[in-house]
Amino acid sequence: MNPVALARQALAYVMLLLVTFVICFPLLWALSTSFKLPQDVMASPPTLIPREVTIANYRNLITGKEQYFHGVGKGYVPSTAAPQHFTSWFTNSVVVSLGSTLISIVISTLAAYSITRFRYWGRRIIPYFSLLGYMIPSIILVFPMFLVMAEFRLTDSLWSLTFGYVSITLPFCMWLLWAFFRGIPIELEEAAMMDGASRLRVFVDIVLPSALPGIIAAAIFSLIVSWNDYLFARVFINSIEQLPLTVGVMHFFEGVHVDWGLMMASAVLMTLPMALLFMLMQKHLVAGFGAGAVKG
Amino acid sequence: MSIRLEHIHKSFGSVEVLKDISLEFPEREFITLVGPSGCGKTTLLRILAGLETASSGAIFHGEQKVSDLAPGKRDVAMVFQSYALYPHMDVFRNIAYGLKVRGTPKEETERRVREVARVLEIEHLLERKPKQLSGGQRQRVALGRAMVRKPWLFLMDEPLSNLDAKLRVTMRGELKRFHLRLETTTVYVTHDQLEAMTMSDKIAVMDKGEVQQYATPAEVYNRPANIFVAGFIGSPPMNFLSGAAISGGELNLDCGDAKRAAIAASPLAGNESREVVLGVRPQDIAVHMAAVPHTIAAEVSLVQLLGSEKLVDFNYGLREQVTAQVKADSLLEAGQKVWIGLDPAKLHVFDPASGRNLLLEN
Repeated sequence: MNPVALARQALAYVMLLLVTFVICFPLLWALSTSFKLPQDVMASPPTLIPREVTIANYRNLITGKEQYFHGVGKGYVPSTAAPQHFTSWFTNSVVVSLGSTLISIVISTLAAYSITRFRYWGRRIIPYFSLLGYMIPSIILVFPMFLVMAEFRLTDSLWSLTFGYVSITLPFCMWLLWAFFRGIPIELEEAAMMDGASRLRVFVDIVLPSALPGIIAAAIFSLIVSWNDYLFARVFINSIEQLPLTVGVMHFFEGVHVDWGLMMASAVLMTLPMALLFMLMQKHLVAGFGAGAVKG
Repeated sequence: MSIRLEHIHKSFGSVEVLKDISLEFPEREFITLVGPSGCGKTTLLRILAGLETASSGAIFHGEQKVSDLAPGKRDVAMVFQSYALYPHMDVFRNIAYGLKVRGTPKEETERRVREVARVLEIEHLLERKPKQLSGGQRQRVALGRAMVRKPWLFLMDEPLSNLDAKLRVTMRGELKRFHLRLETTTVYVTHDQLEAMTMSDKIAVMDKGEVQQYATPAEVYNRPANIFVAGFIGSPPMNFLSGAAISGGELNLDCGDAKRAAIAASPLAGNESREVVLGVRPQDIAVHMAAVPHTIAAEVSLVQLLGSEKLVDFNYGLREQVTAQVKADSLLEAGQKVWIGLDPAKLHVFDPASGRNLLLEN
């Protein structure tokens, strides 16, 4: 490789590293802080690498042991409520995200298939309207929805969150899958029907596997939206034990006292599942799964 | 058992794509539906498959009416233009799918898939996914998927159109060989008249939703029913000379300046005088260097070498044009003055208004 090309490549790598560092810095800082001793959190000058590593923050979060604010040494007596609920918040987030995603994916897959494969009035405009629904800011939807939930006595339950998230993820998932299903050649289904398969069997054997990258993409989108939501949980839920992570973590702020170590450990534990999921599913997201099915 | 189509009509909204199609396909024959794009041939095939329902009319297999059955219940197999191989299944599962759906025992499925793969010479590909196959290999897998079920009817929708020219010729021969071996009735759709001519026992030439002629390839070529069939079948296409007329027992041609040249004795019975459209294939035109009886003066306008032959365009009369196919060693060049004669035994005369071949009515 000649020197100019080498220099260009080196420059490209330096730029990429720099951009990656800037993007990852908040996460790195959270990771670093989560392993620091309470007295090192606000140390000056700040250090990215902890001077002394402790896993106390994580241990206490998971076991729900009280450590809160003791380390600050200001004689503050912690409220007995807030931070002992980390594991139930985590479970709530998992249940609500998976639940709403499952509902969204099942409905949107069937809806998108129906819109692309059957002829009936309005099937052409439904996808555009669904996208329009997605464009309405959640803040406009959340209060009318709260009233509806109250009417059905669903407020302060995980059901309210599940339905709330379905209402924002379903239209987009449907639109995404509609676009995806349109790209699946109809001949594949016709070939299976000629082979003697029923419509349901064609859907299960042929359509679903072909649509898998689209379904995974829609599921990841739905999981991220419901996992990260703050607004719906803030409005719909009152009881501390029913909160999802996003709102629950807020309780680490106690007036002027903030336990940054716990806060950052929670942030890391909140980020981890989504990051892992994304890494595992990345290869499925790559489209072109259907390449080779039809003329090449 | 033969297959009968009785008065098939099909409309999409107000557009009538098939108009009263009645055909009979004898058992074990290779039938080709040929015609230009939009003539309704693929729609007719899809109706045979059960993927479309006819607006009216019925299809019979022997005495059994099959047009009310769902595609999977008809026990016919189809090879799609795009092959439509299941992308997530390997070749074995692609071929076996139809058997699996029908609940065929595992051992028998295995045996039949292997047998079909052996016949098609794709045994070494059974574990591959469709995207790892070449065009010709995909074609064979699609064929295997159709063959493995041993259907009573094969439907093929332009299966060679996605292959390159050389492979197309090879696969054409193979398809024909498979048909001779399996002897399953086959309905084949193509827009390529050469495929239709080379492969078929019988050809149905279609245009504008109607069957123009249904006959053997030789019959369609030598005795076309009308101007459309005459122009569609044969390559290079037939010349149509306007300004021809029959009078006094002779066929003569308008050569401009009110001169009419007699070119042959009238091929029609009777002494009736009438205007006709004269059809002559490029192969049936002879070129003379000097004037002889029954020839017309012409000038060479374009010479195209095809390899073993030359395609020569001539102008005669008032800028009328005619194309002849001559031997490659003919010394003709643009601007040359010659005389052309039309083989009287190979002339076709058509009615200018209806386009019907008048020779068939004699």
